[in-house]
Amino acid sequence: MLLQLKNIFKWVNSGGQRIFLLKDINLSMAEGEFISIMGPSGSGKSTLLNVIGMLDTFDEGEYHFLNESVHALKEKHRSNLYKEYIGFVFQSYHLLDDLTVYENLEMPLLYKKLKGPVRKAMVGDMLDRFGIVGKKDLFPAQLSGGQQQLVGVARALIAKPKLILADEPTGNLNSQQGEEIMKLFKKLNEEDGVTIIQVTHSEKNAAYGSRIISLLDGRKIAD
Amino acid sequence: MFKNHIKIAWRSLKKQPFFTFLNTFGLAIGMTGALLISLFIYDELSFDKMFADAHRIYRIDADIKFGGAEIDASQTSAPMAGTLQRDFPQVESTVRFRDQGSMLLKKSGTVANTKELRATFVDSTFFDFFGVKLLFGDTKTALTQPNTLVLTKTAAEKHFGVKNAIGQSLILDNTDTYTVTGVIDDLPKNSFLRDHSVFMAMAGLADSREDLWGNTNYYTFIKLIPTAKIEDFQAPLQSILEKYLLPWAQQVFPGLTMESFAASGNYYRYHSMPLTDIHLYSNRQSEMSANSSIQNVYILSFIALFLIVLASVNFMNLSTAHSLKRAKEVGIRKTLGSKKLDLVSQFLTESGLISFISLLLALVLTLLVLPLFNDLSGKSISLPYESPFFWLILLVATILLGLFSGSYPAFFMSRFMPVKTLKGGEQKYAGGVSIRNALVIFQFAISVFLIIATLVVYQQLDFIQGKDLGYTKDQIVLIDDTFAAGNQVDTFKEEVVKLGKVQSATLSSFLPTPSARSNTSFFKEGSREQENAIQMEIWSVDEDYIPTLDMELVAGRNFDDRFGTDSAAVIINEAALPVLGIGANEVLGTRISQDIESEEAEYYTVIGVVRNFHYESLREHIGALCLLMRRSTGNMAVKLSAGDFPKTIVNIKTIWEELAPGQPFNYRFMDDSFNTVYETERQLGKIFMVFSVLSILIACLGLFGLAAFNAQKRTKEIGIRKVLGASIEQITFRLTTDFVKMVSVAILISLPLGWFAMNKWLQDFSYRIQIAWWVLALAGFLALTIAVLTVSYQSIKAAIVNPVKSLRTE
Repeated sequence: MLLQLKNIFKWVNSGGQRIFLLKDINLSMAEGEFISIMGPSGSGKSTLLNVIGMLDTFDEGEYHFLNESVHALKEKHRSNLYKEYIGFVFQSYHLLDDLTVYENLEMPLLYKKLKGPVRKAMVGDMLDRFGIVGKKDLFPAQLSGGQQQLVGVARALIAKPKLILADEPTGNLNSQQGEEIMKLFKKLNEEDGVTIIQVTHSEKNAAYGSRIISLLDGRKIAD
Repeated sequence: MFKNHIKIAWRSLKKQPFFTFLNTFGLAIGMTGALLISLFIYDELSFDKMFADAHRIYRIDADIKFGGAEIDASQTSAPMAGTLQRDFPQVESTVRFRDQGSMLLKKSGTVANTKELRATFVDSTFFDFFGVKLLFGDTKTALTQPNTLVLTKTAAEKHFGVKNAIGQSLILDNTDTYTVTGVIDDLPKNSFLRDHSVFMAMAGLADSREDLWGNTNYYTFIKLIPTAKIEDFQAPLQSILEKYLLPWAQQVFPGLTMESFAASGNYYRYHSMPLTDIHLYSNRQSEMSANSSIQNVYILSFIALFLIVLASVNFMNLSTAHSLKRAKEVGIRKTLGSKKLDLVSQFLTESGLISFISLLLALVLTLLVLPLFNDLSGKSISLPYESPFFWLILLVATILLGLFSGSYPAFFMSRFMPVKTLKGGEQKYAGGVSIRNALVIFQFAISVFLIIATLVVYQQLDFIQGKDLGYTKDQIVLIDDTFAAGNQVDTFKEEVVKLGKVQSATLSSFLPTPSARSNTSFFKEGSREQENAIQMEIWSVDEDYIPTLDMELVAGRNFDDRFGTDSAAVIINEAALPVLGIGANEVLGTRISQDIESEEAEYYTVIGVVRNFHYESLREHIGALCLLMRRSTGNMAVKLSAGDFPKTIVNIKTIWEELAPGQPFNYRFMDDSFNTVYETERQLGKIFMVFSVLSILIACLGLFGLAAFNAQKRTKEIGIRKVLGASIEQITFRLTTDFVKMVSVAILISLPLGWFAMNKWLQDFSYRIQIAWWVLALAGFLALTIAVLTVSYQSIKAAIVNPVKSLRTE
């Protein structure tokens, strides 16, 4: 078991009322799974993803990740945990504009304090695997949306995380670019055994996953 | 990692050229100012420290109150040095100077004189005492014989090569013949001897060996033995009074005791002034060379600190304002595994890089403005390139500055939470608004303060210029060293007056500008007790003195040649009346005498009272003085009629050259020599002006950047308001008022501070202005106007944008 959520609640207080963002969410996930989270706007998809990614906190419930009880951890340990095991892919790519493709890929490795030659090998490997060797010296602004997201995915993968979290990874892409990214996810999941959770609006994209979870008003209505 | 930080920092700076420019330029200006001031202060603090054993050397000063005059003397009596050496085991050695002011020198057998600005008699211990090396000659014998002298290299070169100077004969002031026995290097610019170039053997000065305790005209320096403490020396020093000074005074005032002297309100106290403190802490009468004051050093240090803090505050302000733009980056980096510390060090690298670029810019700026600064400060400062210490300090200071400026933005930004920043466009994370406002207020408060200071200093200078001095200084040319014409002086005066365009001319010992003068004790006829002594200055003048300088007689008459008795007549100034205890009209006919011991005292009869005129700086009160009609050929003042001054001066020079061939013709306008008296204030005024402009410039750079950011941040709000019908004026007003509020708070803070501080400064002047309300109002108004102009450019720019465009970009 990679992670397990038990009775997760998250709320905000607004005008004296408690508004639930997540309500009694239960979820278990094994390594190698590919889950799609679906639901209309405001249903809590991104919130759930952020909670799983430990970027956001929750108010009640238990969260176990790789035998660690996340809900009992201090902020610092939590962030160490996600930095170690989780890679993020964003809808708007969030590449660092000032850095080249190569440097963007290298960034997570720098933070892991890996040695120069090791980093070079790993970045080279990743460029090769994603077929973007020719683009390594370009800046994000010089790439198309699809290419940028390709770099985004490569960057998420480079530190060999146990889990990839993707928040509407194709939201800013046209259909053809979107399809390529989804195919890439499927391939990574099936051939390399990468565990993925994605949030999506599209039935079609959701279908790439091996399991679909539907949310409505913070509740899980289907699994 | 560090290399990576540098690379990223460089790129992010390149990416925002405007922001980078504001930051580097602001910092560079601050650094330039601080660097210049630091060099200046370093120079000030280095005074007289180059002399051997400088920390063991002290000058003996005296505080004297006697005969209605208070004197803080920097000189003591001739026998003091010998007495200290003999009576006090802790005194290792002593040296005395008897300053002679300027002198004319010529090689024996020649006609032409050259002028040396400062010449002095000095004891032969001079070389060992100060560790001064002779380039040529023998320190053991150089100044032991009468009529020998030592020259500085520059002075020697004017007459003969340095190498063959020894043994040459020089004639001083056309009278005495001296033999050169040594040549020393020019004395350091940062020493109290910087202007001295002629040192004559004390052996040739008879009164240096006499027991004249009553005169104070010898600068006396002592060197303590290494184990002695100066604190233990102060009390024993006072024993000199009872042991030596009192017996001498009793010869003049029989029955005088220490008690009766003190009982009549008088005092006499000795002090020892450390040599290395003289330049900054001593402000006594007849200092050997013009001193500075520690107050200026403090003021300048504060200004330097202000500038650096201002520039650094700018940096913080602009950086945190820009944090919005960087928030996304922080979020991404955090999700990619960056720790807070990594981010902090990255931002600090960036600020460090900026401060290094600023340093380079500052060095270039410093080189450019250094000549101007030297002009302003009257120094000859250069960058000490060859000193590794200088570069080390510069390096450390720059790193510290980078860290300091970068610290707040770095910690501020590294706290951003990724979830919130990555959602994008969250305005509230521009954060730190209140701190930024406080920083802007701080900057403007300092600027307003400096504006007030500048205005007050200039007003006081203006007041001095326009003050009725009691004489007219306009159109008067002073000709120095007229004695060089020998017995042709009177002919010279007559010939000059005959020139058209010359109204009158007068020969005198002193003119109403500060000069080395001394007081003499006088007594009214029939009262020769010490408590009735009157201290007055004696000026020797001729009958043309009062008309030429346009002075006014409030009673009596001027000197007149036709009265044979006027050689025993005296004209006193109004300030002498209260001391004499008589009114202006009753005083006429009163007879006064100098404190001579004989019973057949020589009396002077008061024939006139001249209205008080300022002869010292306006910092001082006007003291009592008397004018005697005595022949004095020291200098000549010539009153010109309006017209072609240069031509008249050429004419005067022609006459001079005929009558006094080979003698230097030195002239100056009285206005100019009047102005040099207030050089310190003038410099202070200029310095305040320059630095208030700089501080405003820095503050405006910051405000400009902040306004740009503010307008950008509110693009959407502006768009919505315009769609809802707001006019351009309303929007501009809205964007500007925030800043106006801040500047107003700054003004409110600095007005009382400025008023208080400048009143304190004005206390130094006996004659001073009142700070008018409009000075404060003007300072506030200036700051506000400048701020509004700075901000409104950005505000208007933002306000005229088409709302369709601004809303679409959101």
